[in-house]
Amino acid sequence: MIEKSRQQSTETPQGSVMKDVAATQTSEQRLLSAEQQAQLCDWMHRIANHRDRKAFACLFKWFAPKVLHLGRQRFGDASQAQELLQESMANVWRKAHLFNAEKGAVTTWIYTLVRNQSFDMLRKMQTNREDNLSEDIWQQHSNERDDSAEFSDHLLDRQLVEYVEKLPEEQKNVVKGIYFQELSQEELANQLGIPLGTVKSRLRLALGKLKAHMGEHHD
Amino acid sequence: MIKYHPSEHILQSYVQGELCASLSVAVSMHVAMCPQCQHLTCQYEASCAQSFAGENLDLHGDENWDELIAQITEDTMLAEIAAPAPLEIEIKGEQFLLPSSLQNVGLSGWLKLGKLSRSRLNLGDGKLHASLLHIEKGGSVPQHTHRGFELTLLLSGTFKDEMDSYVPGDFIMLDGSHEHSPVATESCLCFTLADDALHFSQGLSQLFNPIGKLIY
Repeated sequence: MIEKSRQQSTETPQGSVMKDVAATQTSEQRLLSAEQQAQLCDWMHRIANHRDRKAFACLFKWFAPKVLHLGRQRFGDASQAQELLQESMANVWRKAHLFNAEKGAVTTWIYTLVRNQSFDMLRKMQTNREDNLSEDIWQQHSNERDDSAEFSDHLLDRQLVEYVEKLPEEQKNVVKGIYFQELSQEELANQLGIPLGTVKSRLRLALGKLKAHMGEHHD
Repeated sequence: MIKYHPSEHILQSYVQGELCASLSVAVSMHVAMCPQCQHLTCQYEASCAQSFAGENLDLHGDENWDELIAQITEDTMLAEIAAPAPLEIEIKGEQFLLPSSLQNVGLSGWLKLGKLSRSRLNLGDGKLHASLLHIEKGGSVPQHTHRGFELTLLLSGTFKDEMDSYVPGDFIMLDGSHEHSPVATESCLCFTLADDALHFSQGLSQLFNPIGKLIY
């Protein structure tokens, strides 16, 4: 699997790759129809949002023969193929909420999970290592990373900080002590020299205001 | 600008999960630095997925999956994607952030030889040796050829040899027909992968042939 020559960027590999892939397609292969793709998306959506076991069973049955086929090709062994199916589909179940339809097709996402699993299995067979490196190796361009969620959390944090600053002084000190400096309520009471009950009531007031304020924007 | 990329064959095998871990890690680090190969990788993944999903296979009629499905869906844990803090290493007073592909790979202690330092990566791929190589500014590796192949992926800094000068992200694959002596134009950190010791080919450097084993 080692190429012996230097490769420069002037090549345009896309064309020949498409040809390779086309060459491996037999007459039994065909592209998915729009309805099939919509069906797969719907199942994924129901698994991710409702932990819908029926939808998972449908998805499982749709993909099982394909995963087994890939497994038998790669491992030449039915029981390894079975293990590939079981582990990959368990990952689909555990990770369904990380699938982002805007970043790619369901089939591509599941293909990468199967690919990762088979990489880790091959490595274990060949080198006896169980370090499961596949997630590290393929993480940067995987569909799993949801930048938009991080981004909006980050924005939300900033809004919160801004609003905390607008709270009355006494309430602000309590919120900052508990949430930003991570003090316990007792520690904070000692530090501010006020009774524990006062800390609790100021916190309740402040959180009520924050909730009301954030609610206006996030309903 | 990055000029040296993995061949299309390597990139395709990478996407299909068919390369050994050492080479997969190298391609992964290149892809993280190279938008062009990121784009290609996504295309390859989509076309592999198409043939994977397009297999119109018999549904193995009576196969009963219900037990397995029930077993899987009993699991109530949700996977979380933790973005771990990048691993920082220090060598000769310089700090480097290691690419995330290496975050769970063990590093040996640094072996220092003049301006060269190397740390072996514990990837366990038999006779393939993966290392991090640090070259201080002005340092060089004596002229050598490769009996097998040598991959150098520049992670940070710059170096040049008789053929070209290189920037971070360059994926430089050499074999026995190439002879070169890289010189660090500024201090640099490389990932190297070799399947055999270097073979020093010039004058007194030939006396250093055992060093090749140490460096690569």
